[in-house]
Amino acid sequence: MHTVTIRNFAFDPAVLTVAHGDTVVWSNTDFVPHSSTARNSAWDSKEIAANATWRYVPRMVGRYEYYCALHPTMKGAIIVR
Amino acid sequence: MSPTRLTDRRVLGALAAIATAISVAGCKKTENLPADTAAPAAVAPAPDTTKPAAAASPAINDAQIAHIVVTANSIDSAAGMLAEKKGASKAVKDFGKTMVTDHGGVNKQAVALVTKLNVTPEDNDTSKQLKSGGDANLAKLQGLSGKAFDKEYVDHEVAYHQAVLDAIDKTLIPNAQNADLKALLVKVRPAVAAHLDMAKKLQSSQTT
Repeated sequence: MHTVTIRNFAFDPAVLTVAHGDTVVWSNTDFVPHSSTARNSAWDSKEIAANATWRYVPRMVGRYEYYCALHPTMKGAIIVR
Repeated sequence: MSPTRLTDRRVLGALAAIATAISVAGCKKTENLPADTAAPAAVAPAPDTTKPAAAASPAINDAQIAHIVVTANSIDSAAGMLAEKKGASKAVKDFGKTMVTDHGGVNKQAVALVTKLNVTPEDNDTSKQLKSGGDANLAKLQGLSGKAFDKEYVDHEVAYHQAVLDAIDKTLIPNAQNADLKALLVKVRPAVAAHLDMAKKLQSSQTT
C-alpha cells in the first residue's frame, strides 16, 4: 500500500511509482476537502473530506496524471509499472 | 467606475494598513492614502490604553487577529455564494463554490480555536473596513451579470487574495502571540496562496 498525503494544498509525493495491483491511498490532512481526479478519467475520488482517506487500485500499467478538481492548481502523477 | 475603484481601494487599503502597521508603528502617521479617511485609524488602534505608541508594541493583538481572520473569510464566502449563483461560466461557479467550502472550513477551525482559547474576537478598524469593502463589492456584483460579473468577481478575487496573503505574511503571522493562533495562520496560508493561483489562472483564461 502506498500513501499520498494531501498537505498544505499539495500532493506528497507529487509523483508516486507503484507496482501493478498495488493500492494507493490519498490521505487528506488539510481542513478543506480535496479530490484525486485522473485526467484520463481513469478515476475520480470526488470529494475527500478533511481528515479522510480514499483508496484506489490503478487497473492498467502506465502514467496517470491527476489533479484536485476543487483546486485545479494541485497536480500529481501515479506511475504504474 | 469611481465607486468600484474606491471600494477596491478601501478593502485593499485596510489590508495594506495592517500589512504596514508594524513598520509604521514608530512613525507618527502613515502617508495619506487618497480618499481613505479610515486607514490611519487602523494603524493606530486607539481604544487600547495598555499600549502606548511605543515602537515595539504590537499593532494588533490576538483577539483582533482572530476577528480579522473570521471577517476576511466570511467576506469571501459571501462573494463565493454570489458567484455560485450568478457566475456566467462553469469555471467561475465552481471557483465560487470552492471559496464557500474552503473559507467555511477555515472559519470552522478559527471558531474552534477561539472557543478552545476562550478568546472573544475583538472588532477593530481593519475588520470594519474589510466588512464595508466586502459589502460594497457584493453590491457592485449584484448589479452585474454575464461576462461582466465574471470579470469583476475574478479581478476582485485576485486582488483580495493577494492582499490577504500579504497581510498574513507581513502582519498576522508575525504579530500573533498565541502559538495555536500562529499555527492556524500558517495552516491557512497555503489555502489563500492556492486560491490566489486559481483566481489568477481564471483571470488569464478570461477573454475581455
